[in-house]
Amino acid sequence: MDREAARITIFFCQQVDSEQETNRRAIERELGDRIRFFPLPCSGRIDTLQLLRAIEAGADIVYLVTCSRGACRYREGNIRAWKRSAYARRLIEEIGLEGERLEVIQANERQTIDEITRSLLTRDIHVGPSPLRAK
Amino acid sequence: MSEESRLKRVLSAGRFAVTAECGPPKGADPEAVRKKGGLLKGCVDSVNVTDNQTGVVRLSSLAACVLLREEGFDPVLQMVTRDRNRIALQSDILGASALGIRNILCLSGDHQVFGNQPQAKGVFDIDSIQLIQVVRQMRDEGHIIGGEKLTQPPDLFIGASENPFAEPAAYRVARLAKKIGAGADFIQTQCIYNLSRFGKWMSQLRDKSYDKRAYILGGITPLKSAKMAEYMSKKVAGMDLPEEVVARMKSVPTSEQRKEGIKIAVETIEALREMKGVSGVHIMAIEWEEVVPQLVEEAGLMPRPSFGKE
Amino acid sequence: MITAERKPLAEIKAMIAPYSKILLAGCGTCVAECASGGEKEVSLLASQLRMDARMEGREIEIKEITLDRQCVYEFIDQLTSLIDQYDVVLSLGCGAGVQAVAEVFQKVIVLPGLNTTFIGETKEAGIWFENCRACGDCKLGLFAAVCPITRCAKGLLNGPCGGSKGEHCEVDVDTPCAWQLIVTRLEERGRLDFLEQVHPPVDWSKSQGKGPRKILREDQKN
Repeated sequence: MDREAARITIFFCQQVDSEQETNRRAIERELGDRIRFFPLPCSGRIDTLQLLRAIEAGADIVYLVTCSRGACRYREGNIRAWKRSAYARRLIEEIGLEGERLEVIQANERQTIDEITRSLLTRDIHVGPSPLRAK
Repeated sequence: MSEESRLKRVLSAGRFAVTAECGPPKGADPEAVRKKGGLLKGCVDSVNVTDNQTGVVRLSSLAACVLLREEGFDPVLQMVTRDRNRIALQSDILGASALGIRNILCLSGDHQVFGNQPQAKGVFDIDSIQLIQVVRQMRDEGHIIGGEKLTQPPDLFIGASENPFAEPAAYRVARLAKKIGAGADFIQTQCIYNLSRFGKWMSQLRDKSYDKRAYILGGITPLKSAKMAEYMSKKVAGMDLPEEVVARMKSVPTSEQRKEGIKIAVETIEALREMKGVSGVHIMAIEWEEVVPQLVEEAGLMPRPSFGKE
Repeated sequence: MITAERKPLAEIKAMIAPYSKILLAGCGTCVAECASGGEKEVSLLASQLRMDARMEGREIEIKEITLDRQCVYEFIDQLTSLIDQYDVVLSLGCGAGVQAVAEVFQKVIVLPGLNTTFIGETKEAGIWFENCRACGDCKLGLFAAVCPITRCAKGLLNGPCGGSKGEHCEVDVDTPCAWQLIVTRLEERGRLDFLEQVHPPVDWSKSQGKGPRKILREDQKN
């Protein structure tokens, strides 16, 4: 689908960008309700249900931004996050949705949430609009 | 009253016994049983008939034993506890004796998951050692489980199998003691390729005089090929096939490997004849029954003892 | 605890296909512990079923509720005020829970969302092993607390068999041979004498063959 039209939800680890609250304001203003941010104190706090509910709410793509391997401040938080996202993928695939709608992104330490998000917004989107979008 | 077990007569006469194994066919043709038996005529004292070995459905051991008895053999009925409960087992024990079968080998049985009926319910109402005890009680005390008296006790020479090479290794002698205590008259072991390890096991048995309380028959399986040797040394549970044996099989060209396998088997039989406490050999030449007469001949065990009117 | 696993989604869908108002009832005890039927799992399944219905253009209403225990009347009673508003109860309780609910509400259709599997322990997070078969005649004291009926594939009381591979069961290379464990542990305690006597055949009449078992305690009755 056309990336300009995509509705995106981003769960992200606050440890990635300590200034995240400020750094995401510009994008939020530009994209309005096409983007939703959910900060987490650690990506390991993500619950499988949150990922499903984001899809249920009509997001075309849901990203989970975690710290890179070995960089989790709480040691295994990101590992748990990866396992739960893999499980969430299987659950949405079970009902016929593409697993690619749910993607894990490992942040590198030098990027702000603004930089990460802008780079995600340049990606091609290989799935169509979510069949769960409000008509 | 029908005659007593030929195997028992050979062993109690102090002669080195020879038994072999016969696997029934996967069909209802009695001729197939008679044909296999025919290959063993005159070179064994008794023939074991397997009981749905590996959980594969075959003509029943009891029926095949009766067919072989009609051909003049002294069959050993192998009975597993995997497929029948205590009612059926005790009933078949009476039936076997009534049909003139005089030897029984009590086993748990390979798990049904390995066979062609993996969805079957494994019964395992009792285990092999409890079965030994049951047969002995029926024979010597004339009652079934629970104490009810039989109108006539069965007459059966009781056997058990033992694997000197299985885990836990240290417990294997104690386990044999348990089987003998439960009533085993004779023991047939897993096939032997590691004579030194088997020798150590025998010496532990002799220390406790177990060889005097039950007849020990060493298992022999001739190797058909180096591939078979390799497979058995790596893939078969509870098998001890040393590297030297595999190497020996590999050292000859494929066309000579059967001959080499026979040579190794004959050497093993000869070694067992010399080993104190070993009363015989049990030859398991599965799907190669034709080789048994040659093995018995080359090991110097022909002719088999005869007892008058046979 | 009693373990269970959620049925494949296709099977659940087929069961609830004729219905549009579903009371999805979880249980907070055993099935919550094994992450198959607790509050979280109720929410996940409800979300999946709602999304699935929307994509197929079907109407569906799902009420999510999790009882502390689904096998005890006092907790099942929490459904009484709700039950008439729904077409069917989709239970994420174990088989005991599904049936207990069905016994209380005999005119209501109660469907099982789980396959109940075994009685077992949580070895560590995410790993559950069966260790009890509820034989009604516990002999763990004789076998160094390793149950041969449950953990030996042949249920031998006088094991081992000749088939174990190394220290593993011939049936499954990932399963330890129960008899290897029993012998080793008794040996460590110097109690191999426990294995000298032939253990007699199990009395199976205590666990099976006579239909469902029951326990009655007058001192416990109201």
